[in-house]
Formats: sequence, structure tokens, C-alpha cells
Amino acid sequence: MASTLLVDRHVSYIQSLGDNKDDLAYHMTAHLRLNAVYWGLTALCVMNRKDALDREEMIDFVMSCWDEGAGAFGSHPDHDAHLHSTLSAIQILIIHDALDRLDVPRVVDFILSLHQPSGVFAGDRFGETDTRFLYCGVAALSLLGHLDKLDVEQTVSYIRKCKNFDGGYGNCIGAESHAAQVFVCVGALAILDRLEEADHQTLGWWLAERQLANGGLNGRPEKKEDVCYSFWVLSALSILNKLNWINSEKLSEFILSAQDPDSGGISDRPNNMVDVFHTLFGVAGLSLIGYPGLDDIDPVYCMPKSVIEKMGLKKGWVALERRKAL
Amino acid sequence: HGVSRVKQSQAALEAKRRRERAKLKEYLALSDEILSRKRRNDWSTESLDLTTKMLQINPEFYTVWNYRRDIYLNAVFPNRTPEQINETLEKDLVMTTIALKAHPKIYWIWNHRRWCLEQTPDGPGGEGGDPHGWRMKNWKQELFVVGKMLDVDARNFHAWNYRRYVLTSMPVKKPDIDEFAYTTKKIQASFSNFSAWHQRSKIYPLLWESNVLDHKKSREEEFELVRNAMYTDPEDQSVWVYHRWLVGTTHVFLGEDADLLKREIQAIKELLEEEAGSKWCMESLVHYQTLLVRCHYAALGDEECERLRANTLELLQQLEVLDPLRRQRYRDLGECSIRHESYRRLCG
Repeated sequence: MASTLLVDRHVSYIQSLGDNKDDLAYHMTAHLRLNAVYWGLTALCVMNRKDALDREEMIDFVMSCWDEGAGAFGSHPDHDAHLHSTLSAIQILIIHDALDRLDVPRVVDFILSLHQPSGVFAGDRFGETDTRFLYCGVAALSLLGHLDKLDVEQTVSYIRKCKNFDGGYGNCIGAESHAAQVFVCVGALAILDRLEEADHQTLGWWLAERQLANGGLNGRPEKKEDVCYSFWVLSALSILNKLNWINSEKLSEFILSAQDPDSGGISDRPNNMVDVFHTLFGVAGLSLIGYPGLDDIDPVYCMPKSVIEKMGLKKGWVALERRKAL
Repeated sequence: HGVSRVKQSQAALEAKRRRERAKLKEYLALSDEILSRKRRNDWSTESLDLTTKMLQINPEFYTVWNYRRDIYLNAVFPNRTPEQINETLEKDLVMTTIALKAHPKIYWIWNHRRWCLEQTPDGPGGEGGDPHGWRMKNWKQELFVVGKMLDVDARNFHAWNYRRYVLTSMPVKKPDIDEFAYTTKKIQASFSNFSAWHQRSKIYPLLWESNVLDHKKSREEEFELVRNAMYTDPEDQSVWVYHRWLVGTTHVFLGEDADLLKREIQAIKELLEEEAGSKWCMESLVHYQTLLVRCHYAALGDEECERLRANTLELLQQLEVLDPLRRQRYRDLGECSIRHESYRRLCG
């Protein structure tokens, strides 16, 4: 059982992801590919190994996902444009300082075209709405420097209507609170400078109660622990400045126990299959609670803090102080 | 999520890869074929059938769902009668029911269902016919399907969201009181069903607002239900969270009803005597006692308030030991209580 973060293993794991071209599973997840590239890149940044993947190749891949008809990005070449993949594309290009490759006005038009009268965003022209897409829209506009084009009141009013009896948020009006949706709503409120809309005490309480006896965090009451909630819950707590309402030592132990010491990578819980999604959220969670040797992550955008600060987008969130390496 | 890590030998991995090679070739050929037809705006029946094949293999391939819908909109629907369109949509509803049984949590499948329902034309019959007929039939079937899915997994939030969507979208609405009864049924099956309590917290205010339920009487019954749940399973957080909300709703602004607070505090104290060390009892007492002191200081008087505050601080100290994961929160609450009191004294 590993008691430290096996950085080299995880870096190799991420580097090897593109080598799986013989795996059926690899091809059957093409609908997530651009998102996966963002997860891998951000994980590398947190581990201070950004250069482990080739910059030019990655930028070329991002641009190959451009859907000319829609003016935005799909998740894979020839896949339809979607708001989620578009956000991932923007995030990758910004991290690689290549935003100039983007047709910003067209992308802004695409994003705004998905904003609904109710204040939520749709994911694409077929109209599925979800607070996840609200976050994608708000974050994307903010990263592109066009947040002023958004009707903020309209957007905030939707989030307000999603607030539940437990202080949390669901994926649409009336939906049950779920930690991932809490992250997207609180993150969006932070970007829009409207955090006073949230009930900090009640929500902080609900979030703190996500920690289970084994140290892991779950996504809602009576559910199992899962490493990805290390990010969704932790980032929300960080934004509310209540990170110390959970026990970070026990959480740290839990995340480290979900590593695969042979192949590298982190899984949802110990002894399950690893994937790049959980690898990112595991290391991002560790970064927020001050694990030594990691780079700072911005919990609002889930991108390197230095990148966000340079853009003047840093909000008033608080992470735990980084501990010195042993 | 949730897939076991299996360490395989090199030989086993090689064998697996050989078996998959044929499947992979087929999959890539199918994917390439569909995407190239899509690029050419090929809306043929052949293309439609290819999307059916692919979506059965990979229901997460969202671009193929889009293509399927585009084929319907561009080529199929414009050439069909309302009856034929409805029949086509019903077939897709059956297709997604089968897909959902295997994959109950895939957003794209639930989405396609919504699209089908929204596309349902008026009918049957033309003039003098029943314009809601097909839609009502389809929507009623939806409620049935989603009910079955919730029987299998009462916490599936996709299913609950879909249920709420069906209830608000049905052309002829089901009365809210029926849904209230549904949540009662779910809660009685398991008090630990947070999703059902959550649904209840959404319906209940509607019933008050529309005067379907008498405010005072129903509130009392609700408190009885919740107290019963607390006593049955004091470790279940759903009930405590719901109780906190219920106490909150009974005031025009929080904490108005001092007698209600005192009564609930008393009930929880009695439970704590039987369930020594119950974190939820203690946590709730802290919350309600704090609320009582903050909102009714004048009515209670100095001595009573001091007693309540001291007891609250004592409970918080016990909680730090009982629930060490959340130790800092209890400390923060304690400090807040002390600061609040100092401020109050300062302001007179």
C-alpha cells in the first residue's frame, strides 16, 4: 500500500494513454477524448511535469476537434461540437499559452447561443440542460475574457432556484443535491462574484458530512466514497473557506490508497481500475490539502493557479498550506 | 467507476487483445462508416439502421444520437403522417427502455427519451380527435417506466429528475398530493432514502401554497412522521437534514416559533438519553439551541440563555471527540457562539 504519491508512475501512466490504440475501450471512449486530454494535462501540471506530453501534438489534436459548422469543439475529430468539449479545448490552449489559435468570436457566439431564457445553459443544439453546462458556459466565457456578454442576473437566478433544503445544488431546478453539482454551482457563483447567494453554513455542513470513516468522500448521503469527490467537495469547501471542516490526513491516506503502484494512475476507490479522470481529481484534491511537492491548483477553474492568477481571474478561495517534503 | 482492478499476465493480456482485434476492426469500420455518411448528410434508412446498431454497442456515442435525430428531422418526419411519426417515436422509446435497463445512468439515453416525447405530434384523430391522446399515452408510460427504475434503484437521480420532468410536462397533470403520497411510500420503504425526502421537500411547500393541505395540521403530522423516523433510525442523516429544513419552514423568518423549537429540542434530548453518543442528536441540539438563543433572547431571559449556551458548548466539545473528522467545524461553531455572545453584550 503506497503511502506517498507515486508521481513518476502517474506521469508514465498518463504518457501511455495515447498508446492504447489496440484497445477497444480506448476507441469506445472517443466521445470523451478531448476532456481526457485536459484531465491528463492538468494532472501533469499539478505534478510539475507539464512537459511530459508534447505541446505541439496536443495543440494539433485540440484543433482537429474543431467543428467548423458549429464554430466550437467536439470531443474527437468528426464528433459534434459540445459545450463541455469546448471548455476543455479552451482550458488546454490556455495552459499551453496557445489561445491565439482560437477563433474567439465564433466560440463566444456558440457559447452564448446555448444560454437559455431560464438562465441555464444547454450542452449543444439538442438542448440538454444541466448546471454542469451552466458552469462550462460561465467558465468558458470568463477564460475567453467575454463574461461581460453574459446576462449575470438571469444566470444567477437559475442557480438560486437550484438551491435545496440541505444548502446544496442539483443538476436542474428540483434536483437532489450532489457534490459535483455543488462544485459547478458554487464555482459559477465564484466566477460571477455572487457567492453570497449560497448558504455557506448549511452547505459547508452538508459538504463536511461527505467524509466517511475511511477518510474518503462521497457525493451525497448514503453513497460510497469515490476519489473524484476529493475534488468536487474539496474545491467547494475551498471556495467557501471551510477546507478544515474535513480531516485532510485521513483523506490523503484514502487517495493514496487508491493508487495503482504497478501501472500508475488512481482509481475511484482502492483496488479498482484506474483512469485519467480519477488520477486528475486525486492529485488535485491532494494539492488543495497541501500535499508536498505539488503545484497549486485553482479550485474554481480546476487549472494551475499560476495560469489563472496571470489572467487576473483568481477569486478569494483558500487552500491548505503546502507542507514541506519529508 | 466501480470496475475491479484485475492484474493479468502478459499472456492473458495478449489473448484478450487477439479476441478484441476482430471486434475493434468491426467497431472502427462501423464508426468510420457512420461518420462519413453523416459528413455527406446521408439521411437514408440504411444510415438510420447503422445508428441503431452503433447505439446498441455504445450508447455514449453522443454524435451518433445527434445524427439519428437529424435523420428523423430531415428525412423521416417530413414524409410521414402523424400516426407514423408517433409509431416511430414509440419504437425509439422502447429502444431506450431496453438501453436504460442495462445502463440506467447514461445521460444521453435519458435525453433521447425526452426528445422523443417532445416530438410527439398531436393525435390521434384530426379535428375532433384527442390532441393530447398520444402524448398522454406516452407520458403515462414514462411515469410507469421511471417508477420501475426507482423500484430497482431508489437513489438513481437520473430517474428522479426524469420523474420530475414527466410530472411537470404531462399535458394533463397529476395532482401534487399523489406525488406526496408516492414519497410517503418510498420513505416508509426506507427512511434512509434521501432522494425521497428531497422530493418531499419540493412538493410539500406546493401543497401549502395551494391550500391542498392545511398548514398547521399537516405540519404537525409531518413532525410526527419525522420524529418517528428519527426514533427508528437515529443514525440516518436524511431525517435530521429534513427535520432541520422542516423547522426552518415553519417560520416566516427563521426561529419565530419559540415553542416549536423548545418542543423539538425536548424530543431530541429524550432520544439522546436512549441513544447516548448519537452524533446527530447532539449536532441538532447545538443547532436548535443556538437558534433559540439567537432569536428569542429577550423572551428567554439571561439565565435560561446562559444555560442553553453552556450546554451547547459542552455538546460541541463532546462532538469533537465523538466525530473527530469534523472536529474543526465544531470548534468553529463554538467560537462563533462565544463571539456572538460577546458582540451581543457589547451592543447591549
